[in-house]
Amino acid sequence: MSTKAPAVGVAYQIPRNSLALLMVAQLVVIIPHTLQLSVWIVAVALFCGLWRTQIYRGRWNYPNSWVRAALVVISIVGVGLGAATGGSMSFSLEAATSLLVLAFALKLLEMKNRRDAYLVIFLSYFVISTQFLFDQSLPVALYEMFATVVVTAALVGLHQLHSQVRPLASIKLATWLIAQAIPLTVVLFLLFPRVGPIWSVPMPGGHQTGIGEHLTPGDVASLSQSDELAFRAVFKSRIPAHRDLYWRGLVYSQFAGGTWSVGTSDITDLDAPARRPEEAKPQSAETMAQAAEGLASIDYQVMLQPTGSDWLYALDVALPRTPTLYRTDDYRLVNNTPVLSVMRYDVRSYPDLLMSPGGLSLRQRYVETALPEADNPRIRELATQLWQQTGEVEAFANAVMAQIREQPFYYTLQPPKLPSDNSIDAFWFDTKRGFCTHYAGALVFLARAANIPARMVGGYQGGEINPITGHLVVRQYDAHAWVELWDEQAGWQRFDPTASVAPQRIEEGLDAALSSTDRASLPTLSALRLADWESLTDALQWLDSLEHRWNLWVVGFDANQQAGVLRELLGKVEPWRIALALLFTGAISLGLAAAIVFWRRRAEPLAPEVKLFQRFGRLGASAGVPRAPHEGPSSYLPRLAQEKGLVVEDMQGCVEDLEQVMYNSSADQNPAERQQALRRIRQQLRRLQVRLALSN
Amino acid sequence: MLGKPTQIRLAVACLLARGHLLIEDLPGMGKTLLSHAIAISLGLSYNRVQFTSDVLPADILGASIFDRNTGEFRFVEGPLFAQVVLADEINRATPKSQSALLEAMEERQVTSEGTTRDLPDPFFVLATQNPSTQTGTFPLPESQLDRFLMRIELGYPEPEAERELLRGGDRRELLKDMKPAIDLAELKSLQQAVSEVKASDLLIDYIQRVVNHSRVAPEFAFGLSPRGSLALLGASKAWALLHQRTHVVPEDVQAVLPSVVEHRLREAADFAGHGGAALAHKLLTSVDVVG
Repeated sequence: MSTKAPAVGVAYQIPRNSLALLMVAQLVVIIPHTLQLSVWIVAVALFCGLWRTQIYRGRWNYPNSWVRAALVVISIVGVGLGAATGGSMSFSLEAATSLLVLAFALKLLEMKNRRDAYLVIFLSYFVISTQFLFDQSLPVALYEMFATVVVTAALVGLHQLHSQVRPLASIKLATWLIAQAIPLTVVLFLLFPRVGPIWSVPMPGGHQTGIGEHLTPGDVASLSQSDELAFRAVFKSRIPAHRDLYWRGLVYSQFAGGTWSVGTSDITDLDAPARRPEEAKPQSAETMAQAAEGLASIDYQVMLQPTGSDWLYALDVALPRTPTLYRTDDYRLVNNTPVLSVMRYDVRSYPDLLMSPGGLSLRQRYVETALPEADNPRIRELATQLWQQTGEVEAFANAVMAQIREQPFYYTLQPPKLPSDNSIDAFWFDTKRGFCTHYAGALVFLARAANIPARMVGGYQGGEINPITGHLVVRQYDAHAWVELWDEQAGWQRFDPTASVAPQRIEEGLDAALSSTDRASLPTLSALRLADWESLTDALQWLDSLEHRWNLWVVGFDANQQAGVLRELLGKVEPWRIALALLFTGAISLGLAAAIVFWRRRAEPLAPEVKLFQRFGRLGASAGVPRAPHEGPSSYLPRLAQEKGLVVEDMQGCVEDLEQVMYNSSADQNPAERQQALRRIRQQLRRLQVRLALSN
Repeated sequence: MLGKPTQIRLAVACLLARGHLLIEDLPGMGKTLLSHAIAISLGLSYNRVQFTSDVLPADILGASIFDRNTGEFRFVEGPLFAQVVLADEINRATPKSQSALLEAMEERQVTSEGTTRDLPDPFFVLATQNPSTQTGTFPLPESQLDRFLMRIELGYPEPEAERELLRGGDRRELLKDMKPAIDLAELKSLQQAVSEVKASDLLIDYIQRVVNHSRVAPEFAFGLSPRGSLALLGASKAWALLHQRTHVVPEDVQAVLPSVVEHRLREAADFAGHGGAALAHKLLTSVDVVG
């Protein structure tokens, strides 16, 4: 079957050596995609690579068309099944990429001619660009830059002569080509209009990071294991103290079976009338702004890592200053779409602003005091008892926290397992070991049992200041939960029972509150990040500041930012101005590359004596006796004199001087002597000029 | 020798540059006479080998012969063991014998039966060859031609010189009366002086451009070898010294260039092995002396 002679000539075959480079390029391009794709696709790609290598070594044959067709059908079915079992019936981005990578890998098995090689190379560039749909971080960008160089090197290799294929030279040339393209890339990045999507790409979704809508005590503990970045915040002014950095994310109002869940909170609709006359109206942005007037405010910008969900993090009490953001009536910020890439938003917070000054609606009051029927009897009893003793919200909370302080409670990331029934009783009276969720949960339960509206707030607490760029870095291990209690006079008040058991956690961060056994349970990198190992901390901070700048300047450079830059540069954003600017700066950047190329290839500067001799030649040429290329001083000058009817002997001194400086000079020669000879030659040149002019 | 001053000068320059000389012309043009005269005027020992198709390497190099008196083998040196060797009609010999001579030319030593013997110093081979189109010739391959520093052609004499020749007596009689013009020590100091002639960077650049032109221009079947460029520089230096200069000028290079490169070049479109002269002319005229 495959003994048939190839249909095209040898000239169209891929050179063996550049084929190797091409396969390396393909591997380099596929590697980052393995993070998103299922294992079987990677396996298929590896198998195809193995098969092609065997063909390359002459061991195996190309698969025939039936095998290829079967592979294609199996791949499509596999991707379809994968998408279906993955839950999304639609053609998701993952499915599309899987199909692309599979086709890319299968192409290996029919890569015979140059035409196929070109296809693979152009497909490689495309596959490189698809990677940015998943991840736009700095390491990925650098890696894909490298991949671009390798693919370009494969393209260069394809054009080398069969006899002299040098992969290193190809890579060098490709690097140089890509380097030349960088100025134009920068220009296009800055100026080329950000066109809105023509068709909507189903974005990668599915996995959420950070805290979730349901909170069981174990969740925060597992987040504490992660040093993954949650977000960075840039403060316009001084960063508030560590203990004031409560980043509100979600509000948990429902409790059932040991799990806290987010209640239904409405997006503040400014014009909607209250549902019932007696219901308090949610505070509108206008009234909030009025109330905030004169209060201290904190301005900052948050760069949130992709979370896959729509809620955002901000300090209390936050007013969004980015158009796509909404505020809910429990004072959270939400985005209009899930956050899938690094999101940047501006917030102004008023720490002293009252929440819900209009009072609680009946519905809210009902929700925030609801408890499951008849469980945790012991703690209910304690609540009644404490409420009888205090009779006031703040005093009640302080009494609870005093108990936490005085009784042997411990802060630990590895608490004993609690039963699913009466879990709060078990925690409060028996184990007495836990972390923020346990304490916050107990306080909310106690308050609700005493009929005080109470809710748990989840988010992050604290953060680490990067001294290089001065921004705040909040990581997953900063995840935290605290409590809000309703005071009829003071509105929602924040209480953090964790501060009673582990004040260091709030004042200094997680590290200070960890016991040595807790620390031992952390993954290595988190532990190292927390440890006081100075040079490593410095290096990590440096990397963080790099990544921060990348997000600030490159990933965050969206249509809004671009409009700002364009306005600054062009005065007004008009199509013809943009086109002109593109043309102009594009020409400059290309001209720059061209100038560098020319400069690198510039001729060696000529020695003064050579220039002088060439001036003799030009002088003769203007007199009608041009110098032949092979004529040196001793043959040309006498001929010139003779043909122009001058005295040949007059030339003798000049010829001698010229030969002396041109052919008899050496390093040890007296430079003054040389200068003298050059001066004499210049004199002779001028004299000859005059004589030739006279003879005409 | 009458009316051939340039050829004689070139031959002397070749000797001073410690190179070997190939003289190519028709029979009877005075090749043997010239070589003989050179040997005598320099006061050097002289041997002549007449090459024919049945000459064997041992005939040139020498062989071990059994001596009946001593009962031992004794090495009898061949005609090659002389300071000046005239290899007459070298292209009439078979390649095997040719290569025996050519190896000795490059290494300046002879290896026979496991013993290496040095050849005298100076060692100067003057080879003559008939034009390769004549019958009964084995043309020298390029690799062997490359070992000759120069190849010169004598050509027919000028009419005036020929009349003089006819009027005079037998020229060979004059050889008997010739006295050496210099002695060995003087020759060696002259050869030393040649290597001390200065070649400036500008001139080295020129030679390099010439050589490079032969390598990149399409009409050349192949370019000059580094041995070719060294030969060009060496011959130029000798030529400069012959003209009482201690530095080389482009005109020196141009004077020796045809003799040095013609036999090393072949035209790309030529399969008979001719056309070196036209190519040398091209090198001369198309390469600029100052870049």
